Amino acid sequence: MMRVALRNLWQHKLRTSLTILAVLLGVAMISGTYVLTDQLRSGFEDIYQSAYKNIDVVVAPKPAFGESFEAGMETLPDSLVAKVEAVEGVTTVNPSLSALGVLVIDGEALQTMGSPTLFFNAAPTELDSVTYYAGSKPDQSGEIAVNRDAAEANDLSVGDEVAVGTQNGAVPVRISGLFDFGSEGASLGGSILVVGTTEDLRDWFDLQGVVSAIEVKGEGTDADALAARIRAAIDYPQATVKTGAVSAAEQTQAVGDALDSVLTPALLAFGGVAVLVGAFIIFNTFSITVAQRQREFAMLRTLGATRRQVLGTVVAEALVIGVGASVAGLFAGLGVAMGMNSLFKAVGADIPVGGLEMAPRTIIIGLAVGIGITLVSALVPAIRATRVPPVAALQEGAALPPSALSRYVPYFGGLLAALGIGLLVLGLLSQGSVTDRLLQMAIGGVLIFFAVATVAKYVVRPVARVLGWPVDRVDGSAGRLARENSMRNPARTAATAAALMIGLAVVVFVAVFTAGFKSSFVDAVDEMAKGDLIVRTQSGGMMTALPESAGEAIRRVPTVESVSGIAFQQVQVEGGATGAIIGIEPSDMKRQWEYRWLDGGSDALLDELGSDTAVVEEQFALDHKLAVGDTVSVLARSGKTADFQIVGKYRDPNLFAGLTVSTAGWDRLFAQRDAVFYLLSVEPGASVTATQKGVAAAMGSYPQAIVETKAEYIDSIVKQLNQFLYMLYALLAVSVIISLFGIVNTLILTVYERTREIGMLRAIGASRSQIRRMIRYESVITAIMGGVLGIVLGTAFAYIVTTQLGAQGISFTVPPVQLVICLIVAIVVGVLAAVLPARRAAKTDILAAIHYE
Amino acid sequence: MSDSSTTHQTRTGDEPAAPDPLDTDSVVVTRSLTKIYGSGDAAVKALRGVDVAIGRGQLTAIMGPSGSGKSTLMHIMAGLDRPTHGTVTVDGIEITGLKERDLTQLRRDKIGFIFQSFNLLPMLNAQENIVLPLTISGTPVDKSWFERLIGIVRLEDRLSHKPSELSGGQQQRVAVARSLVGRPAVLFADEPTGNLDSRRGEEVLQLLRQSVDEFGQTIIMVTHDAHAASISDRVLFLKDGMIVHDHGSMASDDIYDVIRSLEGVCPADANGDGDARSLAAVLCAPETAAAEVVGAAAGGSDGDGPGRAER
Repeated sequence: MMRVALRNLWQHKLRTSLTILAVLLGVAMISGTYVLTDQLRSGFEDIYQSAYKNIDVVVAPKPAFGESFEAGMETLPDSLVAKVEAVEGVTTVNPSLSALGVLVIDGEALQTMGSPTLFFNAAPTELDSVTYYAGSKPDQSGEIAVNRDAAEANDLSVGDEVAVGTQNGAVPVRISGLFDFGSEGASLGGSILVVGTTEDLRDWFDLQGVVSAIEVKGEGTDADALAARIRAAIDYPQATVKTGAVSAAEQTQAVGDALDSVLTPALLAFGGVAVLVGAFIIFNTFSITVAQRQREFAMLRTLGATRRQVLGTVVAEALVIGVGASVAGLFAGLGVAMGMNSLFKAVGADIPVGGLEMAPRTIIIGLAVGIGITLVSALVPAIRATRVPPVAALQEGAALPPSALSRYVPYFGGLLAALGIGLLVLGLLSQGSVTDRLLQMAIGGVLIFFAVATVAKYVVRPVARVLGWPVDRVDGSAGRLARENSMRNPARTAATAAALMIGLAVVVFVAVFTAGFKSSFVDAVDEMAKGDLIVRTQSGGMMTALPESAGEAIRRVPTVESVSGIAFQQVQVEGGATGAIIGIEPSDMKRQWEYRWLDGGSDALLDELGSDTAVVEEQFALDHKLAVGDTVSVLARSGKTADFQIVGKYRDPNLFAGLTVSTAGWDRLFAQRDAVFYLLSVEPGASVTATQKGVAAAMGSYPQAIVETKAEYIDSIVKQLNQFLYMLYALLAVSVIISLFGIVNTLILTVYERTREIGMLRAIGASRSQIRRMIRYESVITAIMGGVLGIVLGTAFAYIVTTQLGAQGISFTVPPVQLVICLIVAIVVGVLAAVLPARRAAKTDILAAIHYE
Repeated sequence: MSDSSTTHQTRTGDEPAAPDPLDTDSVVVTRSLTKIYGSGDAAVKALRGVDVAIGRGQLTAIMGPSGSGKSTLMHIMAGLDRPTHGTVTVDGIEITGLKERDLTQLRRDKIGFIFQSFNLLPMLNAQENIVLPLTISGTPVDKSWFERLIGIVRLEDRLSHKPSELSGGQQQRVAVARSLVGRPAVLFADEPTGNLDSRRGEEVLQLLRQSVDEFGQTIIMVTHDAHAASISDRVLFLKDGMIVHDHGSMASDDIYDVIRSLEGVCPADANGDGDARSLAAVLCAPETAAAEVVGAAAGGSDGDGPGRAER
């Protein structure tokens, strides 16, 4: 029986390879995700291993909450260094300093697109984690060394004059050396590492009297014992003392956890969509071939084959396809990993990667998913094959008896839809963890897809009639035949269209959702920002915030009327979840920002904002169960705590979603008030353009600063969002391509089935071109059906999600252009899918077709 | 056709054909078989009480116009369909009440099929197709029997060919070998020559005849072809769900006359020689001679459900 299965696959190589491809791509995306995240993890592991390779023990500040690797720039008092040096067995100590800054070349701050530019002090040779391949370690003020990636990307060499952007403005420096970090040639992604002297680091980043960490080299004693002695000697609870090996492992672990909680599931979701589309194609292909092979199965039954044996031949075919596709998919996954990595690079998310590796976990999951999905999808057709009665071998055109359950299909579809919508809404509204809620929503979405796919066959006839009308009009006979053909087997047309529907529905969902996000964000900035100019940092993040001195420089520009610097930090709220805290200068902010006050609040609240009061964004209040009048206690990473009484509530889910405090309140928690952006307004009557130039000039020593008008700011935000959107589209394109294979497969099988009919059409005078057009129209009708279903479903999903998330600042906006593009994509898919089957059909030999048995 | 009827002259004769149903040498015995499709006003009676016993080692042809119930009769005798009433015994096993699993076992052990459209698996070569029933049941191939079979069907040098590389006649010979490879108690042939020209058809018929004569194979053949029926040891004619004529070996001309009379065309010479001709005459004038015909046609059956023509 296995032989029958294998030979059958071999005989229909094209169909087999298309079916394999349908599964292969999904498996490739899933295994590619694992390969990529493993690569990232090993990339980070390599970095941490190298960073700690010469360090026996490290004393580091312990953040009050959160992981140490994301903790930012906490410090330890300098006094601890002497205590550590005094410990027995300590030979060398590096009072390590690190900070985030900017490297400036020819007056331009280097764009790192998300990756940090990390500054640290030159360590004693025994503790150094870098290897100089050109020049030498900086040993006097004004010298720096940079890593190989940065040097090569920017064509830097020893002796070059550059500048560094620091806490206190730009400082000119000279490059004294170039180094490798980590194993030779390892990529740090786009990260830039800058090494300077200890004294320079202290000056540049205001690190007097503190150290970022204390790195220790010991002798003649094991690291664990040394760590224990140091821990006892310093007796400092706000510090952690760990061996270098443990630190490296912990930080690697932390990065891995972060990958596993965000990137991995996000990428797997795209793989999941591709697998789902593949499942539909498997189902459809097997359904059609089982229908075509009814006689064969009946004959096997008359020869004494059991139902189980018939099931076996079909399942064996599925197994072969599943195994072939999964194995090939695993290898293709390596390519996908490289592709995804370059995709990330293209949108500026450059991440350190290690070598390509295929972990056993990747292989197991890849095989399980590929084989599993193929078997499951082929099961229903396989069971249908067992229901072919032996007597069908003796009858012309025997039709399968409808299953006893078939009349319940619409109810079943309805039930699935209800269940799906229920899960979707539950996921949106429930209080569970984000992962659980997303999973609920995803399962809900999948159920809705199944529901639509099961009932779609009932709408095939009416929809095909409407869609086919224009081709019927334009291209008489070929058009009419195509229209009739697409209605001939509604279940088949529906399943083929459903595969495309899924891919496009997700595309449309993403498009509508982002359009909603974009428009609500843009509207929010447009409506609420009263100022004329915005000064922000390049990366837009906290990593390169602008120091207070930058705000003073802006204020000194003559035509600037008022300036409000806005600082962001993460705090732990009431000992539980973390949230954002926003530091503002209330009197200036009033002029820059149109707060949407709730509960009868007004701008007067800002005037009253003291050091122990705060106003809160609606969503933040909801998340942390806070009401006006409550007192909230927050904890900063440094360990400082502060209580604030909530005096007002406002709605601003897009920009200032958090707890807003005055500068006086801010200073109770944080040592520095580095602003992520400044909002400013221009003196009445003064030129905005001239002021913008003036401010830009004032920002000369802050090369990371970008001065934009409100419109320019909105524009750049939209650009960033679009870039992100294109990346999602690229990942979703795979699913659409898979569904294209599905249409090709269906058409090839259909053409095969209708060989005699096509021969007859040719015999009575249809031209080859008419036959080709007939197939093409049928393909396009099917594709448009999938497109329309996908657009409707995707829009509906987005509608449900956005209306439920309205409070989070996402409105429901239909982007007409994108939807039209989706429809065009569907048509293109239809035309492309028809190329090969149409050519086959047109080649049908008239005589052979008529004698065809 | 008339020329080839002489080929079987030796076997044409007037010996009584129908063995007694209780005779232990009957391979397939049916009792009061009734088959009704549909229900109510739309009910169609495909079989109206058929009693027949098929003798072992005989080639029995079942003939009759379209819609006469001959295919239904064969399907039920082969266990492919269930009767509405009545019973079927195959090689001593009462099959009408058998479960799916036992029916499958029956097909493996007792029944062979030859189809009009050959029904070979396109992906297997001739040899693999021939041994397929054994592959399915997991039975080892009896080498000497296989060699003998392929010698008889003259496929020695075609064994590695795929069906698409064989002519229609060769394909049907593969199918014949396939049906014989498991030495079934009874072989059902459904229009085995229907898709073949007369020469290839003749080859296949000779093979069937040979397997009856040499191996004592029991064959039940449904056919439209008077010539095909003329090689049989017994010819059953059905009309409207009843056996209207049951006769020993017949010449094809005689068969032809009966067929025409069943289709409502009376032979020019209704009083010709032989049983068949007189039967044809009777069928054309049922009101005069029906009773006698029933007696003869029912072949000694107990007489319930009189197999009589209605027109």
